[in-house]
Amino acid sequence: MTHYDGWFMLAAILAAFAANEVWRVVGVALSARLHEDSAVFSWVKMVATALVAGLVAKLVLNPTGGLALAPLWLRLGSVAFGVAAYALGRRSLALGVAAAAATLMVGTAVIAPGAPP
Amino acid sequence: MGQPELAGDERPPRVWALRGARDSLSTPGFVLFGSFVGFGAMTHDFGWPLWAAALSTALVWAAPAQLVLAGSLASGAGIVAAALAVTVSAVRLLPMVIAFLPVLRTPRTRLTARLLAAHYVAVTAWFEGQRRTQMMPRSARMPYFLGLANGLVAGSTIATAVGHAAAGALPTPLSVALLGLTPIYFLLSLERGAGSVGERLAILIGLFMAPVVGVLTPSLDLLLTGVVGGTAAFVIERALRRRRETP
Repeated sequence: MTHYDGWFMLAAILAAFAANEVWRVVGVALSARLHEDSAVFSWVKMVATALVAGLVAKLVLNPTGGLALAPLWLRLGSVAFGVAAYALGRRSLALGVAAAAATLMVGTAVIAPGAPP
Repeated sequence: MGQPELAGDERPPRVWALRGARDSLSTPGFVLFGSFVGFGAMTHDFGWPLWAAALSTALVWAAPAQLVLAGSLASGAGIVAAALAVTVSAVRLLPMVIAFLPVLRTPRTRLTARLLAAHYVAVTAWFEGQRRTQMMPRSARMPYFLGLANGLVAGSTIATAVGHAAAGALPTPLSVALLGLTPIYFLLSLERGAGSVGERLAILIGLFMAPVVGVLTPSLDLLLTGVVGGTAAFVIERALRRRRETP
């Protein structure tokens, strides 16, 4: 486990805030003139969607930290259960998230009940 | 909910703001808080101090950006490289802001109020804000949304701190489940927010592409996955649409 210097951490968060906020500000500037249904915006949205989906895959396949205590098949299985519950529950986020979390919890309890975190 | 809204135009903004804040304690709100407990626990594992985890939620207010930041720093990236990755993940906020502001504003809404509203745009606040303000009088929308969003930020910041503090003390199965909330929450929110075939394609391509690209170039994998995968989804959707239009 790494421990970050306080000033480094503060600078990183402020930089992330600025890097994130810039698109909200640009959005305000453009919202008066640009249309959500233009081709450029559907492309931008798909790029962003693919990026976040890629992040999800990375988090599930190569987790850092405690999630790695669950084996790969359990992590994939929990996502599959979550997606299935979401689809069967008429696209209910709560149901999907709860099903995935319950799968992880029960699975980890069965496999490694006493493992230190 | 279910109450007559006709008298709303005369009600002061404060009443709408309070109603919005109250509505942040709803199912989508609790899913969001749960996932921030998971994020807080994750930052603990990444070696962040508690104040940094809570500050990132209160200030950045975009879970994907916060995760990208944590992931980049953990893989040894510097602040500039991490900020670059964050800004790529945040591009998705642009169309969300553009789509939502016309719903919120009135002809008298000032620039500062529009900037403030845009700051709160993030997946859950955006989704719930759009859904719930649709039926409200126009003058009620901005105060309602600001109340809702502030409630969500406050709850999420507390949840982040709780997750960080509890990470070491929780039984293993519970902490694993909390850490697992974030990826499934993101995946399902992406699907929930996807308005087109192209966006669903982008989800699938991103999911399968990132692990492959990650082996080739571990540092630029998310950027490459976004640009290449998103463009591929865009091109495929255009091709499908053209085929449908030409008999």
